[in-house]
Amino acid sequence: MAMVQPRNLKYRVWAARLFLIAFVCMIMFPFLMIISVSLRSGNFATGSLIPENISLEHWALALGFNWTSADGTIIEPTFPVLSWLWNSVKVSVVTSSLILLLSTTGAYAFARFRFRFKQGLLESMMVLQMFPAVLALVAFYTIFDKLGNFIPWLGLNTHGALVLSYLGGVTMNIWLIKGYFESIDNALEESAAIDGATPWQAFRHILLPLSVPILAVVFILSFIGVIGEYPVASVLLQDVDKLTLAVGSKQYLNPQNYLWGDFAAAAVLTGLPITVIFLTAQRYLVSGLTSGGVKG
Amino acid sequence: MAEVKLCNLDKSYDDGKTYVLKNINLDIEDGEFVAFVGPSGCGKSTLLRMICGLEDITSGELFIDTSKVNDMPPNERQVGMVFQSYALYPHMSVRENMAFGLKLANHDKKTIDERVNDAARILQLEPLLDRKPKAMSGGQRQRVAIGRSIVQEPKVFLFDEPLSNLDVSLRVQMRQELARIHDNLKTTAVYVTHDQIEAMTLANKIVVLSPLAEGAESNLEQVGAPLELFHHPRNKFVAGFIGSPKMNFFKGEIIETGSETSRVMLDSGEVIRTCNDTSRAKAGDKISLGIRPQDAISEASGDNTVTGTIQAVERLGTESFIYLEQAAIEDSCVLRVEDSRRRENGSNFTMGIPAESCHLFDSHGQSFVRTKAPHFD
Repeated sequence: MAMVQPRNLKYRVWAARLFLIAFVCMIMFPFLMIISVSLRSGNFATGSLIPENISLEHWALALGFNWTSADGTIIEPTFPVLSWLWNSVKVSVVTSSLILLLSTTGAYAFARFRFRFKQGLLESMMVLQMFPAVLALVAFYTIFDKLGNFIPWLGLNTHGALVLSYLGGVTMNIWLIKGYFESIDNALEESAAIDGATPWQAFRHILLPLSVPILAVVFILSFIGVIGEYPVASVLLQDVDKLTLAVGSKQYLNPQNYLWGDFAAAAVLTGLPITVIFLTAQRYLVSGLTSGGVKG
Repeated sequence: MAEVKLCNLDKSYDDGKTYVLKNINLDIEDGEFVAFVGPSGCGKSTLLRMICGLEDITSGELFIDTSKVNDMPPNERQVGMVFQSYALYPHMSVRENMAFGLKLANHDKKTIDERVNDAARILQLEPLLDRKPKAMSGGQRQRVAIGRSIVQEPKVFLFDEPLSNLDVSLRVQMRQELARIHDNLKTTAVYVTHDQIEAMTLANKIVVLSPLAEGAESNLEQVGAPLELFHHPRNKFVAGFIGSPKMNFFKGEIIETGSETSRVMLDSGEVIRTCNDTSRAKAGDKISLGIRPQDAISEASGDNTVTGTIQAVERLGTESFIYLEQAAIEDSCVLRVEDSRRRENGSNFTMGIPAESCHLFDSHGQSFVRTKAPHFD
């Protein structure tokens, strides 16, 4: 702590602070804008950051209440925003959990077992990941269209189909978790084996508890990815009450009539589950879980 | 409590292309403490992992307590292993670490508590039972690792360089502690180390392994009691490996064979009388003469002496190490003398070679029996 510092350090620290403050402002500005738009009466995208007269009109409509406007007419909510929110949360939680399950077990196999074509599989997963899912939209549409004839809950316009198409995202996570597993000393599982643990028990009782930080990261990342996903969801889902929030909020933006206020309220709602998930998962994002087990 | 028997054990990778271990035959008796030593790459850790069941056995047979265990998984072999890296479960307390295996085996809570407390008492870990590994020192962690195997009541303890991560003073302390634990439990133990002092002080029996040479029959060089290996190395490899500093070797040839004493001439011309039985050789055979650094007599004169020039001197107070250069020396030559006088680099130094301290090896590295080696029990 008592390191000798150059004399101009004070100014440099202040410069760094100013830069960071400016940076935070830059990030916060769009967010504040959208909150401001959602609280403005009428549907205007432009205006001052702090609205002159605050109106809860858009929020009431988004949360499913009727709104009595100043001239006495009653406006009913046009869209089921809350069920969109519920759809989004449902699809995201199910997808992220499945991704976690598949990528953890897959990564364990890739990190610890020796089998034929292992390197080839890993590399092809990496390469396939490089093509965006959007490229396969047409394929997704036809596949699920046909699939629906045999398994109705995996057909077009179902959340099952959406979850299944998102599961393609496991590949990057397999790489991520595999890297983490490989940083854990193999001797831990060997000594578990000597203690009488089966490979599954060693995985469940030793490796998994030590990997909680990376599992939390994978869960959060896939949750954020899924809840904001637009292209695939917009093609697979058709009924208004089945839409996710990301696709649904687009409904407010009709070509002739951009309902900016309602759109903004819906957009802020999308951020809500992400915040909740992040705050919950944060306490698992601790480093240094493995320290002390083996000589570093 | 069990004996371990290794019969013609081989280990190879790539379908027999690269052999690491070949033809290992070894009997470890019940209650014995056996140390595997050898330079790095000799396969000593691999051999230990084969006994443990973490590496499969390419060919040959392994018996623990008269039953063949080649195809048994580690836990069925009833062995306990202590890793160099400790391999403690970092998310569990000391108590949970030790109880983990017992819980998996569905022992009742009373047995688990009893065994954990017993082990903690033996290892003086009682005050630390609720700590996590990261809150402990290296020595304490290593004791927990030992405790984790003790509670399993294994037939054989396996140690894979358990002390090499500790600092010097702690290593000496843990060495004595290991000796005490083995005295208490009397369980058969196999110990891998590259530190020959650990091997010499702890083991009843030392197994010297060498990196497998091209076309060699086996890389098991010698098995024996520590002092037997020190005084009667079977070959040049063991002679050079056991003892610190290393034995010095001189090139030469036999000029007179005999069953009690022999005479050899070094490549530099000196004639040395040695107490070795060379009756199986003939005059003119190439040999290596070995002499331990502490056996040579400093500043001698007359017969049985070798003169060289001083390369460097290390003065340590009560003793000095003198590095010599001379035409017949293989590799390097160091002497230990019991004074710390100033000696100039480049000056001549004559050392006396007592005939009864000489080791003699033929051109294949096999030793000629020493006829007047000191007695030991």
